[in-house]
Amino acid sequence: MPGLTFKHIAPFLSTGQNKASRILSYGGLGIGVLLLLCSIQMYVNINRLLKNKNPKKDGYDYISLTKTITNENMARDHSFSQQDIDELKKQPGIEDVSPLLANQFLVRATGGSNLPFSTDFFLEAIDEKFIDTVPPSFTWKEGQPVIPVIVSSDYLELYNTVFAPSRELPQFSENSIMAIVIQLECYGTLGKQNFGGQIVALSDRINSVLVPRNFLEWANNRFGGPNKVQPNRIYIKTRDANQPELLSFLQQKNYRVNKDKTKFGRVKQVLQAIVSGLAGFGLLVILLALVLFSFYLQLMIARSKENLQLLLTIGYSPHWLSITVAKRWIPVYIGVVIAALASTALLQWGFQRMVMNDSELVSPWVHWMVFLVAAVLLLVSVTVNFRLVKKLLYRL
Amino acid sequence: MQIELRQVVPLFIEEEKITGSGLWKNDLEFTPAERVQIVAPSGSGKTSLIHFLYGMRKDFSGTIAYDGENINSLGAEKLATYRQKHLSIVFQDLRLFTGQTVLENLEIKRALHPYHTANPIETMARRLGIHNKLGKISKTCSYGEQQRIAIIRSLLQPFDFLLLDEPFSHLDDNNRKKAMELMEEEAHIRKAAIILADLKPTSFYQPTRTINL
Repeated sequence: MPGLTFKHIAPFLSTGQNKASRILSYGGLGIGVLLLLCSIQMYVNINRLLKNKNPKKDGYDYISLTKTITNENMARDHSFSQQDIDELKKQPGIEDVSPLLANQFLVRATGGSNLPFSTDFFLEAIDEKFIDTVPPSFTWKEGQPVIPVIVSSDYLELYNTVFAPSRELPQFSENSIMAIVIQLECYGTLGKQNFGGQIVALSDRINSVLVPRNFLEWANNRFGGPNKVQPNRIYIKTRDANQPELLSFLQQKNYRVNKDKTKFGRVKQVLQAIVSGLAGFGLLVILLALVLFSFYLQLMIARSKENLQLLLTIGYSPHWLSITVAKRWIPVYIGVVIAALASTALLQWGFQRMVMNDSELVSPWVHWMVFLVAAVLLLVSVTVNFRLVKKLLYRL
Repeated sequence: MQIELRQVVPLFIEEEKITGSGLWKNDLEFTPAERVQIVAPSGSGKTSLIHFLYGMRKDFSGTIAYDGENINSLGAEKLATYRQKHLSIVFQDLRLFTGQTVLENLEIKRALHPYHTANPIETMARRLGIHNKLGKISKTCSYGEQQRIAIIRSLLQPFDFLLLDEPFSHLDDNNRKKAMELMEEEAHIRKAAIILADLKPTSFYQPTRTINL
């Protein structure tokens, strides 16, 4: 039916009726869409802000376990036996277990002429898959004089804030510390050897001084002798460090859990839950607005029923009528969604400028996901609208 | 286009009205350029027949087909296409948009699928004497005027069949003649058939076939 538009049939429909309900549904739709878009944007912001502080990798928590030392059991052995490790592996919440291998010889670290300090030191090794930052240089072959070392980022902070000022030593940034080679003097009953130690990465997850496992095994054997010592500390990999079954098992075994590293994860989880709740509320408001609008449409079609029936009788196609009547509200929907999108953009800009003080961590622009959701919402609203009109018209 | 009826019987009609009927429970065809007169007293199913032929009601046994296609299995869209291009109708109860003006009533039909290159509404309204009513709300017009609006509306589209259900019941002889002439002219240029159902043979109409229901 070329050339025919809504304008032709408009006088035959009582579209002007019930204006308040129509405007209310537009307003509701706008508020709902705004809530949803803002929630998504905040979700993105939270993820960006807490990205560097979240030790979760691929959705896992990595937490360290030790046996709790009390006044009563101080004298006892607090290492983990192979049986303890096997038992941990069987726990449903635990995906993987890795013991921390410790040095069985003495280590002394010295800074050389540029960095005049000397201290007793320790080294540990763990499965590489448990380390959050493993550069390709974190390898050692027998005969290699420089040992790559991964240090907890907390240690660098302690060094910079406490150790260095008290001894008038230079402070280091994360990058500059990696340029320094310290001396590691390894000695035990079976011998002594000097190595260079170069920090190749900082770990947010593992609180230790880590060297490649094959080096530590070799060095334990070389300087400490063949007697194997059981690990005192173990890392576990779990989906959720806060699941009750896991916690009660660990408590029952009297294991001490270091959950410091999961705290940011918890904060993030809580914030994400709040934002998700807000998004859910936004969706609910959108749903209510669409329902209200559908009432308006039903009322309009009921009021125009005789005329619509007659239009169908004189040859108007029900499909054309559905599309034309439904199309009438597409510009309104587009307007509402664009207004909500513009408000979201303004709020995000304000959030970045005023609340975050122009921080680079948060973009002043709206994330592409928000645009995508806005487009999907528009499509859903228009489709729901069209299907409803079509259903009502075919029922006539 | 051709309309075929095979053993059509309304579901609600009494048995005695079927026996002796020239149409019910018969096989017959309506072909282009025919002038058919269907004559029957009140209550014998004239209006039902017109509605059946227009695809508006399905409460009959037997089959009605447009070019061999059973109309009961036509979808709403296809039926709408037939009503735009092949079938036009004047209802006994007129079925105008009573809240709209006469012109709006006519334009809504013409806009759907115009047949004439120049807009013929003014000319036709003048010929039937309702040109000064075009701006009036149709429910304020007399029944006779409304009948003439319905007649003009039926002539604003292409058609192969013009279905008329007691179209002149409220018209005087002079207006009947004018309306019939206009319809004949319009049917003639389209090479279309007219199927006219009335209580008795209509004056000014020369049928090629008369069927007593």
